[in-house]
Amino acid sequence: MTDELELLKRDWQKKEAELPTLSYAEIHKMIWKKSSSIVKWILIISILEFTLPQLLLFAPPMEEAMQIYDYIGVSNYLFALSLIIYAVALYFIVQFYRRYTEISVLDNSKNLMKKILRTRKTVKHYVLFSLSMILVTIIIMLVGVYLNEDIAHIVPELKGKLENISSDKLKITLMLTIGVVGILLTAVMACIYFLLYGLLLRKLNKNYAELKQLEF
Amino acid sequence: MNKELEHKFVTELQDNQNIVHKVCTLYTNDRDSHNDLFQEITIQLWKAYPKFRGEAKFSTWMYRVALNTAITLYRKSKKRIDTQDYESVIFKIKANEYDDTEEQQLKLMYKAVRQLGDVDKALVFLYLEDKNYTEISETLGITEVNARVKMNRIKTKLRTILNP
Repeated sequence: MTDELELLKRDWQKKEAELPTLSYAEIHKMIWKKSSSIVKWILIISILEFTLPQLLLFAPPMEEAMQIYDYIGVSNYLFALSLIIYAVALYFIVQFYRRYTEISVLDNSKNLMKKILRTRKTVKHYVLFSLSMILVTIIIMLVGVYLNEDIAHIVPELKGKLENISSDKLKITLMLTIGVVGILLTAVMACIYFLLYGLLLRKLNKNYAELKQLEF
Repeated sequence: MNKELEHKFVTELQDNQNIVHKVCTLYTNDRDSHNDLFQEITIQLWKAYPKFRGEAKFSTWMYRVALNTAITLYRKSKKRIDTQDYESVIFKIKANEYDDTEEQQLKLMYKAVRQLGDVDKALVFLYLEDKNYTEISETLGITEVNARVKMNRIKTKLRTILNP
């Protein structure tokens, strides 16, 4: 076998002369092109993940939702919750940035993969945190609705139409709606997230597993 | 980045571009992807160039960046067609240079190498480039012993393909 591999080596080295050659100008043009490496994609997606939920808060439908929180009487709790969320998000952003800057193409292959996966893990934890915060928000709202005496008050536009429905029935319908919509929203966001990263990191995960397998 | 550095880099890369081409040949299946990967490796080399202090040879330094880009950083472009008819020069065997058995063997071996996983390919590549096990292990971040063991396994794998 050694002979055969030596044969391959000889042939391989002989092929050098037949490789394509690019001119100075062609290479020079390339150095200013944009990179499309997965590290760059992780950065872009992560920035989106950090900012999109914040932007959503300022969208007009959200302002109406805030009013509903007021009606239910949970806005104080939600305000406290959002302070916690911002503090934790800040921690994650700092952590992410530190890990991101540690990634270097000059590292050996295993370290490079390890650092990329660690950076991604930070985002993963952040997303899990965000998703659970959505659930906490929903729970706070459910409790708010449950404890509220005057449910029809929450949706004033419908007040007239709701007068002939019993308060308990209305309460249950409202709680079910909030619960189902909230869980669906969380599930959809989780799906998008895991699909996105699953596709992006498939190759990296495979190769890292292959390298890790070498340790025994 | 000043013009001088830019000029120095492009000249050095141009002189050593065969290393990048060989990596691209191993890790891609068509001309577009080849060029795509070449470009990404060039970008990564250029981004890392200010950190290159010349304590190693430029070519040695290139192996690491090129392989890291191919194995880890590079995302295969969407329009990836596995065209069978595209055969890079490196995988073409010149019939008149070898006798029939050797020619057959080479064909089979190149085919087998292309079927290896990304990490295995990197090992074979460094081996074919006459790198010693110390260099191989440092580039990939595994121990020298593991590099040897792995290489032996690949040899066995290739042997089974050649002598079924």
